[in-house]
Amino acid sequence: MKPRWLSLLLIATLSFTACSEAPPQVHKAKLFTLGTLVDISVFHQEKAAALQAVTIVETELETINRQWHAWRDSPLTQINQQLAQGKTVTIDSTSHHFLQQAQTLAANSDQLFNPTIGSLIEQWGFHSDDRPDGAPPSKDRIDTALKQVPSMANITLTTTTLASNNPAVQFDFGAFGKGYAIDRAVETLKLAGIKNAIVNAGGDLRTIGSKGDRPWRIGIRHPTAAGVIASIETDGDESVFTSGNYERFFDFDGSRYHHIIDPRSGYPANDALSVTVIHHNAATADAAATALFIAGTTQWPQIAKQMGIDKVMLIGNDLTIYMTQKMAQRIHLEIDNTQIKIIGDET
Amino acid sequence: MTCADYCAVLFAALLLPYLYISQWTGDEAGISATIMNGNAITEVSLAHDHTLEVDGARGTSIINIEDGKIRFAASPCLGKQCIHSGWLEHAGEFAACLPNRISVAVLGDEPRFDSINF
Repeated sequence: MKPRWLSLLLIATLSFTACSEAPPQVHKAKLFTLGTLVDISVFHQEKAAALQAVTIVETELETINRQWHAWRDSPLTQINQQLAQGKTVTIDSTSHHFLQQAQTLAANSDQLFNPTIGSLIEQWGFHSDDRPDGAPPSKDRIDTALKQVPSMANITLTTTTLASNNPAVQFDFGAFGKGYAIDRAVETLKLAGIKNAIVNAGGDLRTIGSKGDRPWRIGIRHPTAAGVIASIETDGDESVFTSGNYERFFDFDGSRYHHIIDPRSGYPANDALSVTVIHHNAATADAAATALFIAGTTQWPQIAKQMGIDKVMLIGNDLTIYMTQKMAQRIHLEIDNTQIKIIGDET
Repeated sequence: MTCADYCAVLFAALLLPYLYISQWTGDEAGISATIMNGNAITEVSLAHDHTLEVDGARGTSIINIEDGKIRFAASPCLGKQCIHSGWLEHAGEFAACLPNRISVAVLGDEPRFDSINF
């Protein structure tokens, strides 16, 4: 009798031990940082470990936000002041890596990704957390800003210094900083032992791993209607970035002005509703989504090729969907009756 | 087997479904939404119509819940993009008033997507 009871007790103990180890599940955290809402999903067995990793990420993102903020008092605004005075700026290795990456992306995009037009963006009123509806800048002001034609080609970068031969250079890394921050966040999660996660900052995201035995499923917002226009299952470590004319904008006299400024015209780019890019590196995807949005329906394949981007979906103003072959193979459209053009010539 | 053995087996048999339910299924029932105010998150049901006044960093945001949908009806920001977002009803949809640091996200039992790109 006693051995049988002992056996039952042993089985029960083992059962409870097995049940007490929770299966992996998604732990979510939301943070207000980088001027947006950052949503982090971690698929992990231990909630405490997941949340501890998120706390480290939050610190990292806050550091990046403080370093590269374009209009609040920050190391970046100090750099801008010094460059405007024609001074050479001393930089650390982290800043060098950041600026070098941005310079390469700008060159590959034919300067359509142009993080030196901070003055122009400020004139449009987008150096504000909360731009009110109001008049756009006058044509004279835009023309004046364009005459100075700042670009990353004006920048001379060494491992310890930064200089500009154009006093009009004013950095604004709005089309790159979020991607860079997401890359840093993902690296931080990996170092903390997290293998499966999504870091979504204001709609742009990078995934690693999977949600257990299935891939992460991402919906891509429709640019003009509620709901999603397409979806994708990410393949491990991938970034999905979209630039759209619906993200930040203001209305004036019946016209809508969004925040993606074409550095060639000085006005909001107007040849697309949105561009979605998939690439393993978030900073590259960020810059590319902006550059390809500005490039528009005719120029985007060439710029994508130069930037090494092979998965692109551009939605034109008439809702025609332009895609690379490789994007078409990956994406699942969630709408019917749409004209689709698949561009075969890709990287 | 003795009577005590049968009792032990019965106990284990009854315990198993309880453990399965408590360990392997979510506790979320029906459609709801989370309202995030700063770093505090509150979950609200969308089953009943009501209006919420939420005090944020800049003032009070008014949030309507109606017919299983939720929206920002008023907010102290200048751009009003939270209000332009309109009604949210599908799991995964969200809107935020960043200046007031308040966001609303719709939850579902089994959302189709793990994250939304926009």
